[in-house]
Amino acid sequence: MLAMNKIKILGTIAVAITATIAISSCKDKRSTGWAYAPNMYEHLAYDPDQINDNFKDGKTAQVPPAGTTPIGFVRFDYPNSKDGYEKAGLEVKSPLPQTQANYAEGKLLFTSFCSPCHGLNGQGDGLVIAHGFPAPPSYSSGVSSRGGNMKDLTDGKIYHTITYGVNAMGSYASQLDPTERWKVIMYVHHLQTL
Amino acid sequence: MRSFSLLFKQFSRSVLVVAGFAFLGTSAFAQGDAAKGEAIFKAKCTTCHAVDRLVIGPALGPQLNIETDDKFLTKWIQNNQTLIAAKDPKALAIYNKFNQAGMTVFADLSDGDVANILTYVRTTYKAMQSAPKTAVGGPAAESGPSNMVIFALIGVIILAFVIILVLNKVVSTLERLLLKNKELLVAEPIAEAAPVDRMATVKKLAKNKKLVFFVLLCGTLALGSWTWVTLWTTNVHQGYQPVQPIKFPHDLHAGAMKIECQYCHSGAYKSKNASIPSLNVCMNCHKTIDRLKGAATPSLEIAKIYDALGYDPATQKYDTTKARPIQWIRVHNLPDFAYFNHSQHVKVAGLKCQTCHGQVQEMKEVYQYSPLTMKWCIQCHKRTNVNMKGNAYYEKMEAVHDLIKAGKPVTEAAMGGIECGKCHY
Repeated sequence: MLAMNKIKILGTIAVAITATIAISSCKDKRSTGWAYAPNMYEHLAYDPDQINDNFKDGKTAQVPPAGTTPIGFVRFDYPNSKDGYEKAGLEVKSPLPQTQANYAEGKLLFTSFCSPCHGLNGQGDGLVIAHGFPAPPSYSSGVSSRGGNMKDLTDGKIYHTITYGVNAMGSYASQLDPTERWKVIMYVHHLQTL
Repeated sequence: MRSFSLLFKQFSRSVLVVAGFAFLGTSAFAQGDAAKGEAIFKAKCTTCHAVDRLVIGPALGPQLNIETDDKFLTKWIQNNQTLIAAKDPKALAIYNKFNQAGMTVFADLSDGDVANILTYVRTTYKAMQSAPKTAVGGPAAESGPSNMVIFALIGVIILAFVIILVLNKVVSTLERLLLKNKELLVAEPIAEAAPVDRMATVKKLAKNKKLVFFVLLCGTLALGSWTWVTLWTTNVHQGYQPVQPIKFPHDLHAGAMKIECQYCHSGAYKSKNASIPSLNVCMNCHKTIDRLKGAATPSLEIAKIYDALGYDPATQKYDTTKARPIQWIRVHNLPDFAYFNHSQHVKVAGLKCQTCHGQVQEMKEVYQYSPLTMKWCIQCHKRTNVNMKGNAYYEKMEAVHDLIKAGKPVTEAAMGGIECGKCHY
């Protein structure tokens, strides 16, 4: 009788432990779980990435009206065409002081935004290229599809390319503001000499 | 005589050899060597061209079917810019069709090289066209659902095995117990009268105070621990892993290709919000890449980007009337009463994204790594030393402290009281 009881006691303990584990660990990763005072989490103010019925396209993050110039932005009124590219190449010069700090910042930005394709040394051998993206020409030894050697590209031409993109390269205007673009160009000029 | 015939033999042999080589050479030029052409094509042309589809430049297969004037093609490939400058009508037509993009000059390619490339493209395109259409349909049907089915089947089989193993274990232990307790073995034949007996045993057990106490204790413990855990995890979304509208693989982009986080989340360095990239950032690469490397058919997930933008990959044109935003599901959500600024942590403090977000570069599907509770924030703020060097804000602060130490009055302006944002925020 005692032996039987022992078994039953052990059995109850086992059941109790499994029940505890089952109840406490059973969490649905697709759900945020129980909420207390949810109105404090689902706030009234709109987040930029939220649906918004006040606008026709339903987005909170609206694009500013055409022609808007944000504070601190310098306008770049050259069209996205061959002529605009050549004209910018002749007329536009970097307004940034050529300091070590700007250069270091440019290197950081280049590493984040350009090196995936252009490679850390601008040879067109980034890791994305190794995964099948068409390779860009090398800054130092390549030939530009718009004529001339890559190493001879001027401030304005590079700025035009970053702003509008060319061939497989997209526009980086939304990721790099004008000052950042000029910092990147400082570093690209260094890579052209490699 | 003998020497003369020998001489003649040698002479004729050399002539034959030379003639043979010459013949081989001309035939090589006229037809081109597809294998050599493939090597050159992959090294020089795939940046902008593919055989069967429009990339940056036209799809070369169909284009070379229309354009059969190899002399023109050779000139165009070697230096398209002289042709355009000379106002060649055909050259100008292509130049203007592609928005005056122009093609890279390949002055280093010889006539033979160009012929090899042309041969390679034409034979490859022919092979593509003659391939039965079912082959195109086959992999499409295979790539998506069948993989899922296979994985599910494997999962079910593994699960079944585990269940069988567990049941086997249970059976064997029960058998062992049965063998041990002969009383039970004896009781087995009268199993038919079980219902009545069972009630009796329950009643018997209910009278056992020790047992009742023990069961109650277990129940209280279980309920108590459940309440405890539930209270701690209420409003805590750690581990939350919602299903996103596009299965964006962070492990491929940030892991295998090592694209840095701020390439897409470029707001993290500049603003409060790390920002979800808008689709134009996706299109920086996916304008060109519409499938996994080596896949026969375009990726369905990438097609969702095109769909949301109203983009037609065949014509590379956008139709903004068809565009609609993608509704990503927010993983990390702070309540409105807590202010958090990304740039302050990433740019000023120099924290790595992974400190709070975990090894996102290894996640196929992103989940919330940190609890984001107040306790978690405070723990880190208690442990982290502030790096004051090269930070204008802290330098100002130090200057104010020096003023206090020197016994001089500290004005509101010295504390940043005349900054615009103090009043106009």
